[in-house]
Amino acid sequence: MSLIPGFGMVRGMALTLRRFFEPKVTVRYPEVKPDIPHKFRGRLQLLYDEYGTLKCETCFQCAQACPIECIDMGGIDTKGRFHVHWGAAETYGERRDESALRRSGRPVPDAAYAHFEAADLSALEAILEEHDHDPAHMLQILEATQAAYGYLPVAALKRISQTTGAWYAMIYGTASYYRHLRFEPAADERQAEALSGRRPSEAAFLSGLDTALGGGSDRRGVN
Amino acid sequence: MTTLLSTPKAWPRILLERADAPDPTDLDAAVKAGAFEGLRSVVRELGPTGVIATIAASGLRGRGGAGFPTAEKWRTAATTEAARRYVVANGYGADPAVRTDRELLARDPFRVIEGLAIAAHAIGASEAFIAVRAEDVDLVRRLETAIGAATDAGFLGFDVFDSGFDVAVTVRPVQGAYLLGEETILLKSLEGKRGQPEQRPPHPAQRGLHGMPTVVQNIQTLASIPWIIRHGAERFAAVGAAGCPGTVLVQVRGPERDGIAEVPLGTPLRDIVALGGSPERGRALKAVLVGGPSGGILPPGQLDTPYTFDALRSVGAHVGSGSVIAVDDRTCIVDLARILTRYCADESCGKTIPCRIGTRRLSEIGDRIAAGTTGPTDLDRMTDLSADIVASALCDHERLATLPFTSGMRYFSDELEAHIARSSCPAGVCHPIAVAVGAPH
Ligand SMILES: Cc1cc2nc3c(=O)[nH]c(=O)nc-3n(C[C@H](O)[C@H](O)[C@H](O)COP(=O)(O)O)c2cc1C
Ligand code: SF4
Ligand code: FES
Repeated sequence: MSLIPGFGMVRGMALTLRRFFEPKVTVRYPEVKPDIPHKFRGRLQLLYDEYGTLKCETCFQCAQACPIECIDMGGIDTKGRFHVHWGAAETYGERRDESALRRSGRPVPDAAYAHFEAADLSALEAILEEHDHDPAHMLQILEATQAAYGYLPVAALKRISQTTGAWYAMIYGTASYYRHLRFEPAADERQAEALSGRRPSEAAFLSGLDTALGGGSDRRGVN
Repeated sequence: MTTLLSTPKAWPRILLERADAPDPTDLDAAVKAGAFEGLRSVVRELGPTGVIATIAASGLRGRGGAGFPTAEKWRTAATTEAARRYVVANGYGADPAVRTDRELLARDPFRVIEGLAIAAHAIGASEAFIAVRAEDVDLVRRLETAIGAATDAGFLGFDVFDSGFDVAVTVRPVQGAYLLGEETILLKSLEGKRGQPEQRPPHPAQRGLHGMPTVVQNIQTLASIPWIIRHGAERFAAVGAAGCPGTVLVQVRGPERDGIAEVPLGTPLRDIVALGGSPERGRALKAVLVGGPSGGILPPGQLDTPYTFDALRSVGAHVGSGSVIAVDDRTCIVDLARILTRYCADESCGKTIPCRIGTRRLSEIGDRIAAGTTGPTDLDRMTDLSADIVASALCDHERLATLPFTSGMRYFSDELEAHIARSSCPAGVCHPIAVAVGAPH
């Protein structure tokens, strides 16, 4: 608080005047390129499309690009499967817990935490050893890990990241692309066999084609 | 095993020359029939430049869908400075309804292996891979047996035919996505990465597997090569259409028969459809789906189109997976197109936004047309959207995924109009339109 009444306002006006005569910072893009730090991505925001679906495809590119790894993500991916979190899992869990506690006074139950629990990694160590901790063998490592554990536990993915030196986001990106890989135990026999059998989407396509050729698919079953 | 359809006597057998061998992995029998003769003359006499010249003279074009001249690809890979080079046989067989490449691999593995070794010699590669579906456990085992036998006999491995040429062939099982058939995605998968394509150029022949020049070739392309070397480029060039010589395997699905046929390129579509038999009594041929899930739906009026890469493209279809499906009048074109488009949308790798979202919107518009809840502008929207998708494509999947609806709109506009303007489905398939059939409008 200033002693002279109105002095604060004068100071404010002075700043306005000074700014007014300062050179402008508008840059004639694209002729002139502003000096922007490498990896700057503008303001991060999660957008929804007109159908109310999150536009984020959980591709982890943003988390991967973030130089100080301040972005952590979680949720269900676009294929409707379970989705692990990006970012140091422990930090993530603690932060979530803390703010949830602050707001409601109790921790929020989150099925995702179960996936952070350390699995018995001895089988994984053998797999990594066999593949020489070589990130070029990532797919084979992931397939062998799934064969050993029935799914890809987060603890295992983190261990793979540590010992192969591959980004966690890269590993997750690889694992989430291939439809025979999964992040939680198989729901049923058919899914468990998917590693060696025809993918469900192919089977669905073939039967859809059969129906269309044989006189139409059941319109009631759409979507 | 998928049946081989019987074809007219005049059609030569190049790929299926030895497809009826009792034991396909019997190397001695194969060698008696001429296997690895081509490789011998290539490493002993022709040499890399000679073999590339021979393939160029034969006019061989890739059978994987795009029809790219094979010799040109080899020349690029051979002349790009690099420490190592690779050859990859693309045996993934993306279309779930097509078994041609797998069948060829299973029935005559040595023909493909020989073609692969010749390609490796031509570009100066010492490592070659055969990528096949991991779920085909038997095929993987059979190929490994065949490679083992050929290596023991000195056709592969170190110092092939005492020429100093080394080549190691490895089977690589891959699985997990339709798009693994696309070459840059397949290479990503072989590197253990997420399967998304790369911007071209540089083409894989310049920068492919592990950043090294890599020739990716379809199984049938490779299987044509030993025949060309043995019988000469002129004889090969004389088979099939001018500018598009040789034969291809077609997976025919007809009213009477399903199976695989070896067809000279340039054969009119009519003759290929005929291999599957004629429609049942009271039914009529309504359309032909050419090219698999992203194929074009052609009307009977286009049955004279020659089966070549260029002619099919110009009428709005493509060779694609080599699938030719006869569609009779029970089928609703809208229904068929939306099922194909939905599959293509589901399989989009997601890297390109117009593909990921555009194909999904296309299939949604298709669903709306089928459900009778469409607006009058939906066809325009579909046309615009298709054009935008084609214009911004990164890989061919995106461009081709528009074909079912663009060809449907081109040839079956009456049927689409009926759905949109009068809410009626001429084939009586679409619901709730189907319940309105027969009811007064
Ligand atoms: C969506 C898509 C799927 C493909 N699937 C296959 C396939 O299953 N088998 C194949 O040989 N080529 C497939 N291709 C073509 C390959 O990208 C590549 O052009 C081909 O393997 C090159 O071999 P070629 O020159 O002998 O044709 C596919 C392409 C696209 C865009
Ligand atoms: S066109 Fe589709 S499938 Fe191809 S790269 Fe783009 S998103 Fe992926
Ligand atoms: S769009 Fe959200 S992670 Fe890429």
